[in-house]
Amino acid sequence: MRSKVRISTAFASCLMAAAAISSIQPSVAGVTVPGFSYVKSSGGIDEYRLDSNGLTVLLAPDHSAPVVTFQVTYQVGSRNEVTGTTGATHILEHLMFKGSEGYNDPKGNSVKQFLERVGGQFNANTSNDRTTYFATVGRENLEGYIAIEADRMRNLWLHEADRQSEMTVVRNEYERGKNDPDNVLLEEVTAAAYVALPYHHPVIGWKSDIEHVPIAKLHDFYDTFYWPNNATVSIVGDIDPAAALALVKKYYGVYPHSPQPIPGMYTEEPAQTGARRVTIKRPGELGTVVIAHKVPNGRDSDQPALEMLDAILSSGKNARLYRALVDKGIALNAGSGTDLRRDLSLHTAYATLAPGATHMQAEKALLAEIDRIKTSGVTAAEVARVKQQFIAADAYKRDGTAGVAGELNEWIAVGDWTLYVTFPQKVEQVTPADVQRVAKKYFEEDQSTTGWFVPVPQAGKGS
Amino acid sequence: MRYTVLAALLLASGGAWANMAAQAQRSHVAGIDLITDRTTVKDVVVIVGVLPAGDAMADPANIAIPTLTGMMLDRGTESLDKFAISAQLENVGAEITFSVATQSLEVRAKCLKKDLALVLGLIASELRKPALAPEEFDKAKQQFIGALQGSLQNTESRAEEAFGRAIFPEGHPNRPHPVADFLSAANIATLDEVKAFHAKYYGPAHMTLVLVGDVPVAEAQAEVAKDFAGWSGGQDYIRPAQPAAPHGPREVPVVLNDKPSVSVILGQPTGLRYRDPGALALRVGTAVLGRGFTGRLMGSVRDKEGLTYNISAGLAEDSIADGSWDISASFAPELLNKGVAATRRELDKWWRDGVTDTELTEHKQGIIGSYLVSLSTTGGVAGAIVTALQRGYDLNWLDQYPDAVNALTRDEVNTAIKTHIDPKAMVLVEAGSVAAAGH
Repeated sequence: MRSKVRISTAFASCLMAAAAISSIQPSVAGVTVPGFSYVKSSGGIDEYRLDSNGLTVLLAPDHSAPVVTFQVTYQVGSRNEVTGTTGATHILEHLMFKGSEGYNDPKGNSVKQFLERVGGQFNANTSNDRTTYFATVGRENLEGYIAIEADRMRNLWLHEADRQSEMTVVRNEYERGKNDPDNVLLEEVTAAAYVALPYHHPVIGWKSDIEHVPIAKLHDFYDTFYWPNNATVSIVGDIDPAAALALVKKYYGVYPHSPQPIPGMYTEEPAQTGARRVTIKRPGELGTVVIAHKVPNGRDSDQPALEMLDAILSSGKNARLYRALVDKGIALNAGSGTDLRRDLSLHTAYATLAPGATHMQAEKALLAEIDRIKTSGVTAAEVARVKQQFIAADAYKRDGTAGVAGELNEWIAVGDWTLYVTFPQKVEQVTPADVQRVAKKYFEEDQSTTGWFVPVPQAGKGS
Repeated sequence: MRYTVLAALLLASGGAWANMAAQAQRSHVAGIDLITDRTTVKDVVVIVGVLPAGDAMADPANIAIPTLTGMMLDRGTESLDKFAISAQLENVGAEITFSVATQSLEVRAKCLKKDLALVLGLIASELRKPALAPEEFDKAKQQFIGALQGSLQNTESRAEEAFGRAIFPEGHPNRPHPVADFLSAANIATLDEVKAFHAKYYGPAHMTLVLVGDVPVAEAQAEVAKDFAGWSGGQDYIRPAQPAAPHGPREVPVVLNDKPSVSVILGQPTGLRYRDPGALALRVGTAVLGRGFTGRLMGSVRDKEGLTYNISAGLAEDSIADGSWDISASFAPELLNKGVAATRRELDKWWRDGVTDTELTEHKQGIIGSYLVSLSTTGGVAGAIVTALQRGYDLNWLDQYPDAVNALTRDEVNTAIKTHIDPKAMVLVEAGSVAAAGH
């Protein structure tokens, strides 16, 4: 499918910057539907468990428009891959659009045929920690989409002929990514930053694995991870909760719990014992500098302070990196952010060099701003400004169901969907001292991985 | 089944989305075409404004001036420097961005209802009274030059530039300037040229301002009247007297080294504006060829043959002037010849045999359904309003569009394809490491 591999967001700072308290109608204790256990509510989102197979269901009613976003998040990503199967999660995501027993092209009712016929906005994507399928449709088409999505959870066609034709599609997706030197730099910085954790390899995989992974391995992957007890269904929009749960039960309730426990990922990253450096040289025009540090998992209590730090560094023309690098003519743009992950996350600060600026100039300027926070902290006014931005972001989230589902999806991947609600509240509790503390704790030179993209002149320029 | 789906869609359009024209209010305030549309979203207001001050309006003496003028708007006003403006926005979580398109200067903003007066006031000041300070001009030039240099390595933007220059004649507003010319112009641009451009083109005469969301309509109209009072001037969009016409097949390679994927565009000028007879029929017919995942191109070139990650067909740049028709795709250098051949095969078949009744019915449903889903956000509504007005419709078009699509017949669609498209007169652009493919 036209999937977007959500490769690290280091160049799009503040992954969760828009996170805020849910705007969805508050719920007290959910509804009672036979076959479901009510688990908890937070910020107007209710969590249920389908008793027969462990499927998690999140409901977020929002009646502002007659549309619904339905999303299923599988807890499997590139973190579950090993040498030889890198990129398998993503290839499987593509093959999920090749048809299932009940819904396929020959029958004229495949997922893409159905959703394009009803004007649904849909796609799928894969990240380090999850694989997600989603669509926004008119409310009258919700059942039709659930039926298809549920069927391909366990009844997917996985044919070698489809793997062969889709392999070259995925390879072209890989090649398109390689057209951009900044993407390549980020991949190499990430690979250097993580030695043991599978975050080492790119979500899209290494080219040779994309080309050669056998269909049997993809079958194994599917039969290991695509089970209801490894999935979370989120339904956001114009729904009646009891009716929505009934639909989920109708279509997902036919499956059992996985026959084997879902395997965990037990690898731990060894301590980093010195600064690491990476250089990429390719044809290009503008240089780039990236400075990465590993920081805790996305659920960690230090993440709100890191979020505040990044907003102070990156958000708006009064941000410190804008003033120090962009306004001074060192960089065309500069920013920082954390790619929140289930295990060790990756924080990056970056600068795209302005014409005439040097890599060392930009690197020193980035480090100077980080050091300034470590030594002098941030001001109460800066912290107050960011808090106001979070309050506004709360209201902006009311505008559309797909945005709510998409953000919820990332917190599901991190391992705690309630952070969708509580993370912004925690950011609002952050103090200037917290920001200085996390800067000192995580941004040590010996823990850094620095990357430079050094452009080399074109051998021969065409028309 | 198909009737049921379509009936459900139209029923939906007759429900919450119905009567968009009646729901929106259009007024002439301080010389500006002001549209306010109060929707069900709470506290949020989205603002989109356009005025004719795009790249096409550039004096040939310096083509960089429209973009540089747009870049100067958020760099300070006569009363506030850029940091003060940014602080006012950041302190309330509001955003204002300006961008320069082919024919338009566009402003987009988002704020809470309580901050609407502040944001409208800032937009007015930035449009009317930019400081145009010399030191900021130097910085804007440097950033523009850097961005241009970055785009030199982008296969997609280089392909688009080459395609536009191949199909639109000199003097046509949709004919893009080469990046190299932009670079030269930016280097010698002067602040006096920016000031002159701002004085000539920035004004309310042909400006549209759209406010969607939790809009306090009377207060918003009063605020616009106050903030823009006394502003005058402005120029109309450029509408060429003669539309562009195909002038034979042509291949245009753009060689960029070390690019594992080649960007390809195959297309032609249509000579049509969006509202012209046959244009909507051609658009819907083109959807059968290249819309989404069920269009023929994706179904064959990607799904069956595995030659590309992405391939699509569509019409572009036809809201104001006559536009273009193209297929765009990406191929690995070693699959380029095969990919282009497969693309031409599908194009020829589509042109020769036309679309089927089944395809037409399904794509009409999908186009209508997608349109209605897009209206579920304030940004979607604002975009639909601005686009409709730029195309020369009134607000009624927002309600009439589904019926107009649904009314198209197979004969109308296939006639439009045969009339306006000529596979034998198309331009083929390939941007990337094309030498590796033997081109």
